[in-house]
Amino acid sequence: MLKPNSVLLASALTAVAFLLSACGGGQDRQVIQNKGSDTLVNVAQAWAEAYQKIDPNTVVAVSGGGSGTGIAALINGTVDIANSSRAMKAKEVKLAKDRGHDPIRHVVGYDALAVYLHADNPLNEISIPQLAEVYGDGGSFTKWTDLGVEVPGCKNQEIVVISRQNNSGTYAYFRKVILGIDDFRLGTRDLHGSKDVAELVEKTPCAIGYSGLAYVTDHLKLACVAQQTGGDCTSPTVATASNGSYPIARPLFMYTSGEPEGYVGEYLSWIKSKQGQCIIVNKGYAPASEVSC
Amino acid sequence: MFQATPVNHRNLSRQKLFRFLFGSMTALLILPVIIVLSTLIYKGAPVISFEFLFANPTNGMTAGGIFPALLGTILLVIGALLASVPLGVAAAIYLSEYAPNNWFTRAINIAIINLAGVPSIVHALFGLGAFVIFFRFGTSILAASLTLAIMTLPIVIVATRESLQAVPMAFREACWNMGATRWQTIRRIVLPNAVTGILTGVILEVSRTAGETAPIMFTGAVFFLPFLPQGVFDQTMALSLHLYVVSTQVPEMPAAVPYGVALVLIGLVLIMNSVSIALRMYLRGKKKW
Repeated sequence: MLKPNSVLLASALTAVAFLLSACGGGQDRQVIQNKGSDTLVNVAQAWAEAYQKIDPNTVVAVSGGGSGTGIAALINGTVDIANSSRAMKAKEVKLAKDRGHDPIRHVVGYDALAVYLHADNPLNEISIPQLAEVYGDGGSFTKWTDLGVEVPGCKNQEIVVISRQNNSGTYAYFRKVILGIDDFRLGTRDLHGSKDVAELVEKTPCAIGYSGLAYVTDHLKLACVAQQTGGDCTSPTVATASNGSYPIARPLFMYTSGEPEGYVGEYLSWIKSKQGQCIIVNKGYAPASEVSC
Repeated sequence: MFQATPVNHRNLSRQKLFRFLFGSMTALLILPVIIVLSTLIYKGAPVISFEFLFANPTNGMTAGGIFPALLGTILLVIGALLASVPLGVAAAIYLSEYAPNNWFTRAINIAIINLAGVPSIVHALFGLGAFVIFFRFGTSILAASLTLAIMTLPIVIVATRESLQAVPMAFREACWNMGATRWQTIRRIVLPNAVTGILTGVILEVSRTAGETAPIMFTGAVFFLPFLPQGVFDQTMALSLHLYVVSTQVPEMPAAVPYGVALVLIGLVLIMNSVSIALRMYLRGKKKW
């Protein structure tokens, strides 16, 4: 007859055995910790997946959380590579140096921030100053009629302004380019991911949103963006992002602590190689250097 | 004998009305469960296959399987149970059997209740600061399991304490009168009679642990890991985080995959629970009172 306490003890022992059995297998395996930008996370995952075939002994653990999360992890020394869709701030670099890390920046690709519109929205082009009126604190455009269009299916023509949470690199970059030092207006809907922005704009005729080109779906309309109101506009594409003609395109970074050496260095040079760059192109971003895939 | 007066009639019909009202409210409670389960089975079952359960994810996680996440969740749950059950049961035994009723004990009880009320994201940040950074466990299964254990400790303590207190005082007194020490009484009389209640706490903990996303996101679970964890200092994928990832982060994800992941997560919790439920029924069958 099994006494209750021995039942508990037995189940605990089984569990310990289970955990220990998971600890077996002693082959030489290096783990690269890779964390940060939600914009880059899907590319980072694709790189990690493909790299298994290149070097089976190096595995890459990928996590998202936002550029700020990745940079904080680099400062704390808990990652090998931080993904970021914005450059590190001087304050962050200083903080990292104080803790003995020397952040080295690697450009791994470019991303065009597309302005998403509902498929029924008749607006074709928008300029940076107009975007500032829509997104900025104290901006004067609150209705689609202010932009000279009537959106079918949009009650009262009120613009539903969609933005991102404030630790997102996408948020920081859009703010820098569109608003400069000004703040976003109150009442924007701040979503937690590029995919969420795409999905909400798809379903909301009144909406305007922004996110990377890679998250565009067939049901979205992309605005052609002009530097000045009335000026020539450029459509967001991989080509216009990499040649710099699209006004809201940004470099995508990977940061390492010090010059990458050994397996981290090999991984980064593979990412910058033709094979790695073709993967980022496949995911809808522009390559860091010209490649033909 | 008695002629029902209009007052009796009115009271009777009111009684029927309220009985119906409360009954239908209770029936309403089942509705969400049925809707959730049937939606998951209807939309998720088609993707469940041997490959889905036991293969690595491929093609940007839109194809292949979820085995690393499945195994990861099992390891995290086991790790959390190993840490929290001994600690929680020991604390509950002290509080129920030994502790004098003074301000110190009452303070501890209030602390436990408050610990249960702490939002999981706060536990996550605590785990990040304490286990990942201060104890230098890194983001690992160990750190994530311990964070989950701290979070679920109140469940184990409260369930154990309740079940210890449900053992009649007369049992203890009879035992003491025979000259047994407190420990002998606990070991031979109180614990065996309380073990079913303790298992209820464990069941609740398993469900909570397997489903939590926030506490493991910062402490040990990753978006993608192309290998299975080899030890407690490795990171792991986990079903709950994977569900979040496939439903919000990956473009061009087939619509059925998130439902499939959710179905596997619920299925796993049900299987783990049914083991403890079976054990509990077996033990209850042997109960002598």
